[in-house]
This record gives sequence, structure tokens and C-alpha cells, in this order.
Amino acid sequence: MTDVQPIQGQPAPKPQTQDQSSAPLIELRDVHKSFGSIEVLKGVSMSVRDGGVVCIIGPSGSGKSTILRCINGLITIDRGTVRVGSFAVETLKKDKELVPLRHEVAMVFQQYNLFPHRTVLQNLTMAPVQVLGEKPAVVRERALALLAKVRLTGKENAYPGELSGGQQQRVAIARALAMQPRVILFDEVTAALDPEMVSEVLNVIRDLAREGMTCVLVTHEMRFAQEVADEIFFTDKGVIVEHGPPGRLFKCPNDPRLKAFLDKVL
Amino acid sequence: MTLDFAWLFDPLYQRWLLNGIGTTILLSLFGIVLMFVIGIVGAAFLHLNVRYLQTPTTIFVELFRNTPPLVQLFFLYFMLSDIGLTLTDPATGRSIPLFTGFTCVVLSLGLYNGAIAVEIIRSGLLAVPSQTVEGARALGYTRLQTFRHVELPIGLRLCIPPMASNIVSLIKTSSQAVLVAVADVMYGATQIMLETFRNLEVMLLIWVVYLMITGLAVLIVRRIATTVRIPGYGS
Ligand SMILES: Nc1ncnc2c1ncn2[C@@H]1O[C@H](COP(=O)(O)OP(=O)(O)OP(=O)(O)O)[C@@H](O)[C@H]1O
Ligand SMILES: [Mg+2]
Repeated sequence: MTDVQPIQGQPAPKPQTQDQSSAPLIELRDVHKSFGSIEVLKGVSMSVRDGGVVCIIGPSGSGKSTILRCINGLITIDRGTVRVGSFAVETLKKDKELVPLRHEVAMVFQQYNLFPHRTVLQNLTMAPVQVLGEKPAVVRERALALLAKVRLTGKENAYPGELSGGQQQRVAIARALAMQPRVILFDEVTAALDPEMVSEVLNVIRDLAREGMTCVLVTHEMRFAQEVADEIFFTDKGVIVEHGPPGRLFKCPNDPRLKAFLDKVL
Repeated sequence: MTLDFAWLFDPLYQRWLLNGIGTTILLSLFGIVLMFVIGIVGAAFLHLNVRYLQTPTTIFVELFRNTPPLVQLFFLYFMLSDIGLTLTDPATGRSIPLFTGFTCVVLSLGLYNGAIAVEIIRSGLLAVPSQTVEGARALGYTRLQTFRHVELPIGLRLCIPPMASNIVSLIKTSSQAVLVAVADVMYGATQIMLETFRNLEVMLLIWVVYLMITGLAVLIVRRIATTVRIPGYGS
């Protein structure tokens, strides 16, 4: 899953000269974004190292989903820079230019966002074949292995609408993995699930994190965040108020807004 | 008043009717194909915000949706036959007009019901959940690929009920063919009425014939709807 993709597309304005392992894989600098007259991101900076697992927490409407969507270019930013590997994301405009980025950065959503008209197996194989132009037979093998990994063997020919929420979300994770990405963005992937299905999805994410997949998670599962994350970012009203390793952030928060938030959710 | 259906046993009238029914079905089939092509292409232009084509498409839709199909047919028929384009029949070597009454009827049906189909398909596309589209975009699908592989297949399924009425409307509208001298089932009926004066009986029969053709069409659409139904989706 972690094999290195050939570097394609737009190079970053300042090419990396230093040793790759020390440079962060994802780097946001002073990112601003407005929807109409509402400024949703007011100068967000953060970085994620290769193989890192970071969680973004914060109140509803603070811009967490917007940050994720900036990272894979689903929305364009007004100011600042977003760099992922060798891509300067803010310079990618055309759909075609975005393909190599989307190949490296997969995303999993709260509402699963599966293709309802395709079977589970087709959901996994469609994009690698249709977008990346890979050989169907190769993709199929990989897809079957991934379904086994998320413990859904036997559901290949089911349609998403015939599965439980937890199963659909695991299909969505497998679909993201089928792209062989370097990074996966998770946007509140357990928020729509019944409590008994939350753990089956978190278990899959935990495995991925342990295997060294770079993960950026927006989550309300504080205990899970504490367990898997190397670093936690707390957002409020479009800025990152505080960040740090979970041990410190949860035990002795500095910012009063973080304190108030943790009092509410813990 | 007594109904007299004796004329129905005349082989000549039977042939006129059967040929007419065949022509009506052919007109409708070609019309439906053209309607779908126009509907999908037009809806794509509007849905994908294709520059320079959006406004013409909107004008086309409004123009054809909001004027009587009969006026459109006459306009096409007189305009196109005036241009007088011809084809050479490869078998006989004779020159035949390109825009026959038949072609004009097919064109007019395709355009009128196609304009309505644009709106129907567009509403189907708008009913595709935005999350599904975002899922495709996040996987690297381009706008056009998303349309082709995700929005269109789902959107077309969602618009089957209004599309069924549009198809029925097209079949009914095909009865205008008689007015540009195409030998459809209405034409056969008119001929029989002229010879037998059994107007009421003939029209009763034609009524039943149309009912059967549209009923068959609805049955076929239902069959298709069942085959393409998405398991577990919607209701
Ligand atoms: N496409 C959009 N158009 C207009 N406003 C938007 C759009 N997307 C997000 N917003 C607004 O931006 C703000 C931040 O949204 P965002 O979804 O990033 O918040 P969030 O932190 O993910 O919240 P939640 O926890 O509820 O998911 C909200 O006020 C939202 O209404
Ligand atoms: Mg959100």
C-alpha cells in the first residue's frame, strides 16, 4: 500500500533540496478561504510528516472539513500555499492536473459517498481503471485483497444500499486504498454510524495508521484521537488555536477555547 | 345507433391499418432515439455549464417546449422540403428527397419531445446527491468522467417516471404524421373513413390501437426500470 508513486505533475515552486524524510509530506501555509462574504479559514498553517497520523478537532463550523478539502484540491483557496509531496496544490486548476494529486491523496467521507449504482467490487475498481488507466485484472486482484483487509469478503457483488453503515464505510476506506494513495483524509467517518458500528470502522483506521499510512482525521472520537494521533490540531473559527501531541494537549491545554471544548466533549 | 365493423374484414383495409401501425411504431422508435440523444446532449450542455452552448440550448428548449408541435412540424416540413436536398438511392440510382414527410415527422418528434427530455434529464441529474459527485471528484474523476460514469447513470434512473410520460406523449404526437401525408395509422384510418363513411367505428378502433401501442411502451419502460433498479437505493 505504501509503495512510492512516481512524482508527476506540477512541481512545487521551491524544489526540495534537503533530505526527503525530514520534509513534511503535507504543508499548509497561511491558508485563507472565504465562501461568499464568510471567511471560513483565516490563515491556517499545519504540517504532517510522511507516515504521520494527525487529528483535527474543534467545534462544528470551525473549518475542519474545509481544511481537508484544501489538501486534495476539492476547493480552491484564496491565499496561502498547500503543498502535498511534490504538488503545489493551489496551482493545480484543471481536472487533468488534479488527477495525480487525487491519486496520492484519497478521502473518506461522513456519508460514505459510495457509487450506489455499482457493486462493492466495482466501487473499488472503477477509479483505478477509469481514472488511472490501470489493467482491470490487476485492479480486481488488489480490490479483492482490500475487501479481505476490511473484512468484507463475500460482499463483492452487493450494492452499497444493501449494506449497513459500518460496512459501507469500510467499503469507502477500501475504495480509497484501491487508489494506492500516500495520504488518506478522513472527514468524521464515524459520525453517521450507530455506536456499535463505530469500532469496526475505527479498527480498520487503527490498522492503517499502524502500517504507516499517512492519515489526517477530522474526528469527534476523542479517545481514538488520543490513541492513534502523533499530533492534534484544535481549530476554532477558522484558525488553528493550538496543536501538539495528544498527551500534552488533552492533559494540559493552554488555550481557554480548547479547555472549554474539551470540557464539553470529554 | 348501431356500430358496423364489417369493413374490418376487408383485406385491403386490414393491410392499410397494419402498414399504418408499423409506420407509427417506426416513427415513434426513431423519434425516441433522437429524443434521447437530444435530451442527453442538451442536459449535458446545461449541467456541465458548457460555455457558448448553454444559452443556445436554453433557447432551443424554451422554443420547442413552449410552441405547438404541429406548428414545428409544418415549419420543418415546408422549410426542409423547400431546401430540396436529395439523396441518390444506391439500389435504383434514382434521386429521392432527403427530407421526406417521414424524416420531418421523426425530426419534429425528436426536437419537441427532446426539448422536454432535456429538462427531465436535467432534473434527474440535479437529484443525484452532491456527496456522490464529491466522492467521484475526490477519486480524480474529471467533470466529464463524473458526468458519464456517475451522474448520468444515476440521473437517468431517477427520471424514468417523467420520461415514460414523455415517451407516451411522443407516440401520441406522432399522429400528426397524417398531416404531412405520411401513411401512419391515422392516415390509414382517414382513407378507410373516406371510403366507408364509418367514421365513428374507425375512430373507436384507432383509439384502441393507440391505447395498445402506448400501453406496450409503458410496459417496456417498466421492464427496463426493473432491470436497472439499484438494489437498496431510494425507497
Ligand atoms: N461550499 C460551501 N459554501 C458555503 N459555505 C460553506 C461551504 N462549505 C462550508 N461552508 C461554511 O464554512 C464553515 C466551515 O465549514 P466546515 O464544513 O469546514 O466546518 P466543520 O468544522 O467541518 O464543521 P462540522 O463539524 O459541522 O463538520 C461553515 O460555516 C459552513 O457553513
Ligand atoms: Mg465537517
